[in-house]
Amino acid sequence: MLMTQLKYDLLMFSRELFYLVFTIVVPPVTYLFMGQLFGEQTYAGNLNYAETYTPSFILVITFTVVFFAFGFDQVMQRTTGVEKRISISPVSKKILLLSSIIRAILMTSFGFVLISVIGYLMYDLQLRFWSVILSYGFFILLNAVLLILASAIYSFFQRMNSALVFSIVIFQVVIFTGGLAMPIRLMPNFIQVVADFNPLYHMNNLFIAIWNGQFSLDSQTLLSSGYLALLVMVALICLHIQNKRKIG
Amino acid sequence: MNIVEVHNLEKSYGSNQVLRGLNFQAQAGEIIGVIGKNGAGKSTFLEILMTIKDYDGGHVVLFQKDIQESNLDQIRKQISVVLQPTQFYKTLKVEELLKLFKAYYRSNIKIHQIIMDFQLEPHRKKYFDNLSGGWKQIVSLAIAFLSEPKLLILDEPTTGLDPHMRNMLWTYITNYNTRTGGTVILTTHNMEEIEMYCDKVMLINNGINEVFDTTSGILASGFPSVHEFYLQKVTI
Repeated sequence: MLMTQLKYDLLMFSRELFYLVFTIVVPPVTYLFMGQLFGEQTYAGNLNYAETYTPSFILVITFTVVFFAFGFDQVMQRTTGVEKRISISPVSKKILLLSSIIRAILMTSFGFVLISVIGYLMYDLQLRFWSVILSYGFFILLNAVLLILASAIYSFFQRMNSALVFSIVIFQVVIFTGGLAMPIRLMPNFIQVVADFNPLYHMNNLFIAIWNGQFSLDSQTLLSSGYLALLVMVALICLHIQNKRKIG
Repeated sequence: MNIVEVHNLEKSYGSNQVLRGLNFQAQAGEIIGVIGKNGAGKSTFLEILMTIKDYDGGHVVLFQKDIQESNLDQIRKQISVVLQPTQFYKTLKVEELLKLFKAYYRSNIKIHQIIMDFQLEPHRKKYFDNLSGGWKQIVSLAIAFLSEPKLLILDEPTTGLDPHMRNMLWTYITNYNTRTGGTVILTTHNMEEIEMYCDKVMLINNGINEVFDTTSGILASGFPSVHEFYLQKVTI
């Protein structure tokens, strides 16, 4: 049953132009475009463009897949009545959820490979086996964090339009205050303050450090990890409360 | 044999008590129409029977099992529904939807058979979202029949359909009822349909089953039609 559900979930994803454009078209094109503009510069930690922005754009794809194709999709199914119709069918909720999670991980993994290959071919990105494995492992952890956050956030939406507006706004906020498009230190002060509260900013810093073998346990990484752990705990509590309101 | 037994059912939304002690029974093979004005609690009642809505008081027994003490997945295997409005995954084609639901219900019915039975061949490759309202209802009914349900629940199945589509839908419903002995419970605002096709009628008014009688019994009590019965019993 899981394989059947997954097959149709992937088929539906491939037919949603909105998801496709925001997940596997816009981020790689932006990565290429930004590379043409700023490819020669050196960034924090003495890293080049590919070393800094390859993990960042993988994270952008992960964010868009998880927030649009997983979180927003849940609101769409709920508000259009599809969720109600499926809930009457004898298919386990666990199967449906697991299929959505696997679909999201497959799509984000595709993004991981796509951006890495572009970086390798266009910007001389160095790919070392164990470093890639370690980065992929951490990337899966980031997937899990984002899936939990997205589930909790979108569980509050009862109307598709408000969820859509929220998704588009949050996409802009996350990109600009996450350090995903350009360095936060070049931004105005208030953006830098907002960035401190943006989980993607902390994920991005941790991911860049792990991708480049520069991760060390210091106050900054502990702060970022602690903040993300706190958000995950709050999200899990929200999900627990929301689930208790629903009938089995 | 009782397929559905409801005793003293109560349901509120905040301070608005919609159902105030409703009683209902449905036996195998019956077609029962549930009527009442908008907001009377018809859809709430059906959704409780579908096991997707909680209730505040009373007992609901489906297939001789109290739904609050039973495995809902086991009960749901025996129920199929047509909701108003009908919605399925909009980016799946009709044939794909049938295959997906066949997997959900672990049905042995062949897809090409159900496509033939419901005259869906011209629409097989169309996205569900691109179908007309009538064909959406037909597809929804075809999906409902995939599970060969013992209980079919239909929430305003013919609303917005032209007379031909209404006729087609009712032909499928009555054929199913005759062929399988399955029970059908539906809501509608079309009293003509109630009179033509339903064995019994339940009128929900002020949160209770104000009238629950056979259609012939209602007509025999002096009302020239179910339509007239409704107009006299229900005030705006």
